[in-house]
Amino acid sequence: MSAVVSETPLAGVVKAAKKPARFSLARRTIITPILLSLLLIAITLITVMTGSRPFNQTVIDVLVRVIFVVGLYIFIGNSGVLSFGHVGFACLGAYATAWLTINPIMKSSALPGLPEWLLQTRLPYWEAAVLAALFAGVAALIFGRVLMRLSGIAASIATFAVLAMINTIYSNWDSVTGGTSSVVGIPIIRTIWPYLIGAVVAIFIAWAHAISRSGLALRAARDEPIAASASGVDIPKERLVAFVVSGAVMGLGGALMAHSIGVVTPDTFYLSLTFTTLSMLVVGGMGSLSGGVIGVVLLSALIQALRWLEAGVPIGESTFAMPKGLQEIALGIIMIVILALRPSGLMGNREVTLPRRNRG
Amino acid sequence: MSLLALSDITIRYSRLTAVRDVSFSMAEGEILFITGPNGAGKSSLLRAIAGVTPVAGGRIDLAGQEITSQAPENIARLGFSMVPEGREVFGSLTIEENLLIGTGMHANNRGWRTRAASELEAVYATFPMLKERRNGQAGLLSGGQQQMLVIGRALMTNPKLIAIDEPSLGLAPNITDQVYERLIVLRAQRGLTLLIVEQSSARAMMVGGRMILMRGGQIVLDGDARTLGNGEAIQAAYFGYEDH
Repeated sequence: MSAVVSETPLAGVVKAAKKPARFSLARRTIITPILLSLLLIAITLITVMTGSRPFNQTVIDVLVRVIFVVGLYIFIGNSGVLSFGHVGFACLGAYATAWLTINPIMKSSALPGLPEWLLQTRLPYWEAAVLAALFAGVAALIFGRVLMRLSGIAASIATFAVLAMINTIYSNWDSVTGGTSSVVGIPIIRTIWPYLIGAVVAIFIAWAHAISRSGLALRAARDEPIAASASGVDIPKERLVAFVVSGAVMGLGGALMAHSIGVVTPDTFYLSLTFTTLSMLVVGGMGSLSGGVIGVVLLSALIQALRWLEAGVPIGESTFAMPKGLQEIALGIIMIVILALRPSGLMGNREVTLPRRNRG
Repeated sequence: MSLLALSDITIRYSRLTAVRDVSFSMAEGEILFITGPNGAGKSSLLRAIAGVTPVAGGRIDLAGQEITSQAPENIARLGFSMVPEGREVFGSLTIEENLLIGTGMHANNRGWRTRAASELEAVYATFPMLKERRNGQAGLLSGGQQQMLVIGRALMTNPKLIAIDEPSLGLAPNITDQVYERLIVLRAQRGLTLLIVEQSSARAMMVGGRMILMRGGQIVLDGDARTLGNGEAIQAAYFGYEDH
C-alpha cells in the first residue's frame, strides 16, 4: 500500500508532516478538561473556606455525581446509545470497596460468605476505590461483549436488564452482599479532596478517551454508522471500549459514594440514581463532556435551592416555605423548560473552551 | 486477474428482489459507471459489495479474496472504500478528524502514523479547501465541500477501489464538475480504480470509461460509455421502450 502513497507527487514533499496528528488534537482540546476541573476546584475551595459541614457534604455529593455523569457521558455521549444500566456498575464498585475496606471482624459477621482472603483484607480507601473501578470495568467487559452487538433501543433495554440483574443478585445474595439490608462500617471520608481528585481524574479520562482513535471512531459511528463501518470502523469493538472505560469510571464513583455515606444498599444504586444522573446528562447535553459536568453542577444547585425553600426561608418576621414535594415538581418543570428551549441540552454538542483566536 | 468480481448477485428486501443475478468484473485502474433509473438496484449493489446490505445469493471477490457477507469494516480493510449516498460526513467531528477516521484501521501496522500524515498531506494537496478549514466542524461544510471531504476520507483508507454513490446528488452542476475534475486528477495521479453510481448516464458519457446500465435489478447494457450513450438502446433502457 505504500507504493500507492509514493506514487503521489507530493509524498516526497510532505516528509515534514511526520508529527502525529494526535498531538495537535490533544493540544487543541485540552483546555476543556482544564476549565471543567478549574470549575470544580473553585467550588471546592469556596466550600472549604465556608467551613460548613452540611455544605461540605452537599458538595461531596455533587462531585460524586460528576463522576457518575462523566462515566455515563463516556459511553452514551460518544456512542449515542442510551444506557440505563450504568448505575449497576456503580453498585459493583460500591460493594467492592465495602468488601475491601470494612473491618475484618465486622465483615466476618455481616458478610460471612466472602472468601477467607477477602475477609482478612483491609485496604486504604483509595486503593480500594481503584480496585473497585477495575472490578466494575471487568464486569462491563463481560456484559459489554454480549450487549455491544445490539444497537438502538434494543441495546438500551438490554442495559436496563443489566441493572435489574445486578440489583437482584445484590439484593438476594445475603452472605456476600448482606441482601437488602444495609452494609455498614465502610470508612467514611469526610474531607472533600479525594472526591475532587476523583472527579478531575474522571474528567481527564473522558477527555483522553474522546480524543483517542477509539473515541473518534465511536463518535464517527454515532454520526453516520454506515459511513463509519465503510471507513473501517469496527463499531461493536469501539463501543465495547467505551463501555468498559465508562463502567470503570462508574465503579470509581460508586466506591467514592460508598465512602461518602458509609452505608450501601442495592437500592442506593437503582432507579432513582439512574434517572437523576441521566437527566443531569441530558439537561447538560448528551454529546458533550462539558454538558455533563455543567448539568450536574446546575441541577444540583437547583435541587439544593429548592430544598432550602422547602425547609423554609426566613423573610423578615415570617418564614416562607414551599409545600413539601414541590421540589420534585419544580425540578421536573425546569427540566422540561430547558429541554423545550434546547432539545440537545444546554451545551448541545459543544465543549467549553477559550475564545478561538484563529484556526490552524 | 480482475480486482472486483461479482457473480450472480441477488439482493432481496424481504419479498422484494432489488437485484437479480448480476455478474460483472472490474479490472485494476478501470473507471466504471453504474447508471440506471431510480429503483434499478444500483445503490443496493454498491452497498452489498461494501457489506452493508446482505446478499441473498451469489459471490463477490475483491483482489482474489472472497468478501461475500463479510463485515463492512473488514471489507474496507481489504481495500474497498465506499462513499455512501448523501455524503455522510461525521458532522460533529472536525474535517481533519473525519479524514483520520479512515486511517484508524491501519493503526496496527508499523509506520502507520507517518503514512497517515503523508496521506493527510496528499489529500490536502488535492483539496486545499479542506486544509484551510481542517479544524472546522465537518457538519458546517457546504454540499460540494462535504463531497470533497468524503472522497478525501475514502482516499485516507488507502483503497484499491473507491466506490461512490451518486456524487452529483444535490449538487449544483458546476460543483459536480469540480468534484469530477478532482476525481479524474486523482485517478491519473494514483491509478485509482473507480466505481461510480449515477442516475444519469450523461456524466458517464462526459467522463468516458465503461458503463453498466441497470434496470429492474438487472444489467441491460455493458460497454463503453461514449458508444453506449449515443445509441438508442440507452433510451429504451431508461424509458422501457421495447424494440418491435
